[in-house]
Amino acid sequence: MVNPLFALLIAAAVTVLGFYVFSPERGLFWKWQHTRELSERVLREDALKHIYHAKNASVESLAGALSISTNQVADVIEGLQSLELLEIEVSNFKLTSDGRDYALRIIRAHRLYERYLAEETGYDEVNWHEKAHQLEHELSSEDVEALAQKLGNPTHDPHGDPIPTADGKMVYSEKRTRLANLELDERARIIHLEDEPEAVYAQLVAEGLHIGQEIRLLEATPQRIRFETGAGEHLLAPILAANISVIPFAEEPEKELEVGLPLSDLEIGEEREVLSLSPRIRGAERRRLMDLGILPGTMIEAEMESAGGDPVAYRVRGAVIALRKDQAAMISVSAEA
Amino acid sequence: MTTENTQSLENILSTAQTLRWEVGIDFHEKVTESIYTDAARIADRATTRPEEKPRFDFDRKLDQILTSRVWGFPLMLALLMIVFWLTISGANVPSSMLATLLLDTIHPLLKGFAATIGMPWWLDGFLFDGVYMATAWVISVMLPPMAIFFPLFTLLEDFGYLPRVAFNLDNMFRKSGAHGKQALSMTMGFGCNAAGVVATRIIDSPRERLIAIITNNFALCNGRWPTQILIASLFIGALVPVQLAGLVSSMAVVGIALLGIFLTFASSKFLSKTWLKGEVSTFSLELPPYRPPRIWQTIYTSLIDRTFIILWRAIIFAIPAGAVLWLSANITIAGTSLAGYLINFLNPFGLLLGLNGVILVAFIVAIPANEIVVPTIMMLTVLVTGANGGEGAGVMFELESGMETMALFEAGGWTLLTAVNLMLFSLIHNPCSTTIYTIYKETGSKKWTWVAALAPVLMGFAVTFVVAQVWRLVEMIL
Amino acid sequence: MTTNTKDSCETCPIHDAAALKKLGVDMSDFDYVVALAGNPNTGKSTVFNALTGLRQHTGNWPGKTVSRAEGGFEYGDHKYKLVDLPGTYSLLATSLDEEVARDFILFGQPDVTIVVVDATRLERNLNLVLQVLEITNRVVVALNLMDEAKRHGIQVDERRLARDLGVPVVPMVARQGEGVPELLQAVGEVANRKTVGKPYRVKYDSPELKKAVTEVTKQIENAYPELPNPQWVALRLLDGDERIAEALRKGELGDLTHGDIEKRSAQLQVIGNQ
Repeated sequence: MVNPLFALLIAAAVTVLGFYVFSPERGLFWKWQHTRELSERVLREDALKHIYHAKNASVESLAGALSISTNQVADVIEGLQSLELLEIEVSNFKLTSDGRDYALRIIRAHRLYERYLAEETGYDEVNWHEKAHQLEHELSSEDVEALAQKLGNPTHDPHGDPIPTADGKMVYSEKRTRLANLELDERARIIHLEDEPEAVYAQLVAEGLHIGQEIRLLEATPQRIRFETGAGEHLLAPILAANISVIPFAEEPEKELEVGLPLSDLEIGEEREVLSLSPRIRGAERRRLMDLGILPGTMIEAEMESAGGDPVAYRVRGAVIALRKDQAAMISVSAEA
Repeated sequence: MTTENTQSLENILSTAQTLRWEVGIDFHEKVTESIYTDAARIADRATTRPEEKPRFDFDRKLDQILTSRVWGFPLMLALLMIVFWLTISGANVPSSMLATLLLDTIHPLLKGFAATIGMPWWLDGFLFDGVYMATAWVISVMLPPMAIFFPLFTLLEDFGYLPRVAFNLDNMFRKSGAHGKQALSMTMGFGCNAAGVVATRIIDSPRERLIAIITNNFALCNGRWPTQILIASLFIGALVPVQLAGLVSSMAVVGIALLGIFLTFASSKFLSKTWLKGEVSTFSLELPPYRPPRIWQTIYTSLIDRTFIILWRAIIFAIPAGAVLWLSANITIAGTSLAGYLINFLNPFGLLLGLNGVILVAFIVAIPANEIVVPTIMMLTVLVTGANGGEGAGVMFELESGMETMALFEAGGWTLLTAVNLMLFSLIHNPCSTTIYTIYKETGSKKWTWVAALAPVLMGFAVTFVVAQVWRLVEMIL
Repeated sequence: MTTNTKDSCETCPIHDAAALKKLGVDMSDFDYVVALAGNPNTGKSTVFNALTGLRQHTGNWPGKTVSRAEGGFEYGDHKYKLVDLPGTYSLLATSLDEEVARDFILFGQPDVTIVVVDATRLERNLNLVLQVLEITNRVVVALNLMDEAKRHGIQVDERRLARDLGVPVVPMVARQGEGVPELLQAVGEVANRKTVGKPYRVKYDSPELKKAVTEVTKQIENAYPELPNPQWVALRLLDGDERIAEALRKGELGDLTHGDIEKRSAQLQVIGNQ
C-alpha cells in the first residue's frame, strides 16, 4: 500500500502544477498563447486603426496606443509604407485609400463582434472591448459577413458607434449633433457617449447617462451646461458635455420628460407606469421582457415578494411575472402613482 | 424568378438597408410598442371589467401564504417530504411484489423451460441469467417509485405550485449563477436524472439550462437510494447501539443527499464563473394562476410521458449490461474469467481510492443503470473470493439477511472506509447511460455531453482519493 | 353569448357532435393543415386534446413543447391535420420556440391557424394574435377560459372583438368541451374559404418607424402584388432578417395554399426537421 502522506503530497503537487500552467489568464499556457498573438500583422492593424481614429497621430501616440517602444513603431510604420497603406506628408501620417479601407474592415470586425458579445453572449460589458480587440484580427472577411448576417446586419455597436458597411461606408446620421448645439429646452436622445478618455467617460457614466436616454437642454453657457434626463438634473463643464452626441426629436413628443425611480424601489401594492428600460438590459433579455409586455407606458404593480426575498413578482398586463432585483433596478418607472 | 423581379428585390433590400440607419437602434422596441398599443386598445374596447377589485381573490390569498417569509419554506419542505415519503414507502410493496414475480417465479420457470427443451448451458445462462435477470432487476427496482413520484410531481405542477417553488428558491440559485427553475429539475432528478434533464426545458435561458443539465447528476436518483440505504444500514448503523442504528444510518443517507445538493450549488457556481461565462443568461418567471388539476388525465399522461419512456430507455440499456456481465463472468482464459482479469487490473487503483477492483468494475457494468450496482458487487465478490452463496457466475442475486451480506463484504476485504467511499462514489460518479443519452438529445452538443459525463467521475476520484488518504493518515497517527 | 346559441339552435349542424371524428395520430390523407398557436398557460393543449382525442401533456410552462405535437381529426367530410406549435408570447423570433412557431405559420402555410387566447388576459394575448394576423388572414381566435373570466367578473364582447380583429372569434371553455362545435365550424369555414378574414393591421405610428415601414411596404406591394403580408415582410427586412430576404429571393413567400398538398407537406417536413 502506498504511504498516504506521500500519495497526498504527489496529488497536491500535480494540482498546483496544473493550476500554474492552465489557470485562466494568468497561467503559463495562456501567457504563451498571448505572446504568439502579438504578431507583426496585429501591430500593423492596430496602428492603422489608431491613425484612422486619431486626429494627429504621432510616433509617440502610436507607441502609447500599441504599448510598444518607439523603435518598434518605426518598424511598423515602415511595413505599412511598403504595403502602400500609409503615406507620410510633412511629419503627418496619412492613410492611403487602401489603408483607409483596411482600417474600416478592422473597425467593422471589432464593432460587429462587440455587438455580438452584447446581444448573444452573457459576457459583461467590461469584457467586450478586450475580446473584440483580440477577435478583430482573427476573423476572416467571410467570418465577418457571416457574423453580420447572423446578427441581422446591425447598424450600430453597443456604444452607439456606427458599424462600417461591408463596402467600407460609415454613415454618421446627419442629425447627429453635440449636446451644446441644441436649442434651449429642445429635447433629444443620446446616441453616443465617447468612451475615451476613460476618466471623462467614467464621469458621464457616474452621472447615470446612457445611450437612448431622453435629454432636455436647460442652460448652455461657456462656463457650464445644464440639462435634464430621466435620471434627474445634471451640470457639466462644456469640455465634458462635448463627449455627448445627441439626435433631436423629429417631432416634439407628447409626453413630458419625467424623472423616474427604479422599479425595485416599489413597495408591494404600489402601481406605476414604466418609463424606460436601461440599455444595460440587452440582447435576449431585453427582447424577452418586452415580449412580456414590459414597455414604456405599461402599468406595473408590485404584487408579492418571494419567500427568499429576492425575486419580486409584478402584475403586468394581467399576468404575474417575477423579476430579480438587479433587473428591476434597471427599469425606470414614474415617481408619482 | 425573372431578372426584373430580382432587380426590384435588390432595390427593396437596399432601401430597407438605408432606412435602417434612420430608424436607429431600438427598432425592436418600437415595433413591440406599436403592437402592444394596438392590442391594448382592442382589448379595452372588447372587455368590461368589474368596477372595483373583488374583495376576496383566492389566487392572491394563496400566494400570500405560499410565498410568505414565514410559511413559504416550511410548507414547501413539508410538501416535498410528503411526496418523497409517499414514493419511498409506497414503492416498497409493489417493488417486492414485482421482484417476487420476476425474479423468484418467472426466472425459475424460464430455467425449467430451458432445461426441458435441452437448451445448451451457455445460451440458457446468457439469455435468462444474464439478459433477463438484469432487465427484471431494473424493472422491479425502478418502475414503482417512478410510477408514484412522477404523477405526484405532475399534479403539483398542473396546480401551479411548482412555479412558486422556483420563485421562492430563486434567490439561492441566483447566488450560484443558476435559475430558480433549477429547483424543479433538481427535485425531479431525485426521481430520475434523465427525467430531471428533460425537465430543464422549462428554463429558457441558455446558460442556466446548461448548468441545470450538467449538475442534475448530483441529485441522488432513485436508482442510487437503495445502494445508499443498504450500505449505510450495514456499516454506519453498526457503529452505534442497535436502538440508534436506524436513526444514524438514515441520517447518513440524508447527509449524502444534502452533500449532493451542496455539490449542485458549488458546481453551478463554478460553471457559471468559468466555462459557461459567455453563454446568454436571461431571467423571467411567469407565475400562472392556480388551476385545479385533472387528476386522472395527469396520472395517465405522466405515466406515458415520463415513466414509460424512461423505463423503456433503461431496459434498452440494461439488456446489453446483463449480457456483458454474464459473458465477462463466464468466459475464462487460463482459468480466470474476463471479469477477474479486469478486477485484478483495477484493484490497485481501487485501493488508492479506498474502494476496490470489484466496486470499480461494478460501476462500469452498471453504467446502464445504477440499480444493479449492489447485486453486481455481490456477484463479483463471490466470483473473486470464492465465498459461499450466490447463484453462480454472472447471476445477480439478493441475500435474505443483512448478516449474510455483511459476511460476504467482509470476505471481500471491506472496511468502514470502503463503505463510506462507496456511498460517496455512488453520489459522485458519471450519470447512467440513459441520462447521458438524454443530455446529448437535449443539448445537441457532444462537448457538453462529455463534460457532464466525465467531470463528475473525475470529481468522484478526487473526493474518494482524498478521503481515503486522509483516513489512512489519521489511522497511522492514532 | 355561448349559451344563447345553444338554446336557440339545437338542431344546427354545428351541434352535430358526430360530425367530429377524433383521429388521434392517424393523419393519413389529410385535406387541410391547421396550426395551433397561443401564449403559454392558455389551455392550448386542452384544445388540442379536445380536437384530436390525444392526451398531450405540456404543463404550466413556456417552452415545454419543444418538438411539435401533431394529431388529426375529421369534420364534415374533410380530414384535418392539427399541428400544436410551442406556446410563445410573441413571434419576433427571439427564441427557438418563437422561431419554430413563426416559421411554421409563414412557410408551412397552414390553411387555418387557431390562436388560443386567455379571456382573462386579453391584452397580453392579443399581442400574439396581432402578430399572427400580420402574417396570415386565415385565423380563428379561440377565446378560451371564459369560465375564469366570468369568475373574475370580466365580460368579453366576442362580436366586438371579431369585428375589430377581422377574423372569427369563438368563446370557449375547452376543459368542459364548451365551444368545440363552434370552433370546428369556424375552422371549417375558413379552411374552405367560406369565411375570408380581413385582418387588423397594426399601426406603426412612431414617427421614425412610420416612414420607413410605409416606404418599404409600398415597394414590396409593387414588386410582389400577390404577397398576402407586405407590411410584415417590410418590418422583417427593416429588422435585417436575413432569412426573410432569402425566402423572398427563393420565392418561398406568397400564397402556396393553392398548390399541391404534397409539395406543401414536403415543406412542412423540412421545417419540422430543423
